[in-house]
Amino acid sequence: MNGGNPEQEKTGRMPPTDNELMEQVRDGKVEKLAVLFERHQAMLYNFFLRLTGNRAASEDLVQEVFIRILKYRAGYLGESRFVVWMFQIARNAHVDFLRRRKAEVPLDDHAAEAPSREPLPEDRFEADQEAALVRRALDRLPEKKRELLVLFRFQNLKLREIAELLGCQVGTVKVQVHRALKDLSRIYFELQGGKAT
Amino acid sequence: MNCDKIQERFADYLTGDIDEQSRREVQDHIAACASCRAEIEDLTAVWAKLGVLPEEQPSGELRHRFYAMLEDYKGQVEGAGTVSRRARVLSNWREWFTFRRPSFAASFSAFLLMLGLGTGWLVSGGGGNSARLSSLQREAQDMRQTAAQSLLTQPSASDRLQGISYSTAVRSPNTKTLAALVSTLNSDPSPNVRLAAVEALYLFRNQPGVKESLVESLAAQSSPLVQVALIDLLVEIREQRASEALKTLIKNEKLDPDVKKLAEQGIKQLI
Repeated sequence: MNGGNPEQEKTGRMPPTDNELMEQVRDGKVEKLAVLFERHQAMLYNFFLRLTGNRAASEDLVQEVFIRILKYRAGYLGESRFVVWMFQIARNAHVDFLRRRKAEVPLDDHAAEAPSREPLPEDRFEADQEAALVRRALDRLPEKKRELLVLFRFQNLKLREIAELLGCQVGTVKVQVHRALKDLSRIYFELQGGKAT
Repeated sequence: MNCDKIQERFADYLTGDIDEQSRREVQDHIAACASCRAEIEDLTAVWAKLGVLPEEQPSGELRHRFYAMLEDYKGQVEGAGTVSRRARVLSNWREWFTFRRPSFAASFSAFLLMLGLGTGWLVSGGGGNSARLSSLQREAQDMRQTAAQSLLTQPSASDRLQGISYSTAVRSPNTKTLAALVSTLNSDPSPNVRLAAVEALYLFRNQPGVKESLVESLAAQSSPLVQVALIDLLVEIREQRASEALKTLIKNEKLDPDVKKLAEQGIKQLI
């Protein structure tokens, strides 16, 4: 793999890592952000989509994350994996989004908790009864637990990285993941009509 | 080992990211403890259920917005006097949309005037004649196409971008417009223009020959940006015929490693 190839003499054969790219962005090669965008836009979009259930808002949030990455690029230290840093920004963007939405909808807590989920196209979600049920169960989890599960289940983050992201001990994350899964499992089976498995 | 300690390991156990000794301890415990066994079964079930949630792809619009934002930012960083060529091209492209460009404003006004005159002629000529209205609409579409084709041959990149934008306002483009777009996609010197052509052809993907042209174009592209956009598009529209083209592409030793990775993923997704 790493054998010398005269055509690739400059960078070697391994693609640059996220951290290397972000360091270049930090040091002024902002165009390298395009590579990071191409690598992570879909993952981020799905992260937000699972949290908000709203496609347009999710795309806005992805855009917001990359705007903030540029804004805060000078502060990138590269101590942990780039995605951990990116998710830190993504979480903040999501918190701000929730705050804005709360300000816009001065209704009771319940209405603020459960936004009107945009109906997802039939061929993708609703037709798939099981996926729809999982979605509804996930929606009923409190925001924090839902976020934790989405990070843990879908974003390929290690427990250690989630702990770093949430600013707590790995042991705490393990306990929280366990509780969140237990809650989700209870809600799921309730929605299913009490049938076990 | 008590139940609390074991349950703390369930998260690791579910992901499989657990050392051999811990795994054995969990297994030994659940073999003996019915309540923990029931619990891990529930958790495993719900863990698997989460996997049924499909991944979605963001729209091409997000990519558009990102690149526009990046260009803007680069423009700001490089200073007002030295705005990059790309930023200029893109901002022209946006200005065109917002009708701020005087020459466009003029030609658009002329277009509206003609449309108004046409409608007036229609009304005075006995109104309600739907055949005339549709022929007028056809004419407007044809005019748009002619304008698009001519803009696509202009030396200035921003004019060509306008041409592409013009063509996307056409409902069903004729073969000439499609050919002009394909030729822009394959041989325009500016990657920005080629990128815009990818987006335009995506809109016309159901017109005869367009998908084939998109597949063929893979071999003609050298810019990673355009390659990525094309691969994404072909995977999104699940164009099976792209598999071979992708396989050829990854054999190219000069290929950008990121694009190669994406192409390899694409091949897997197209199977």
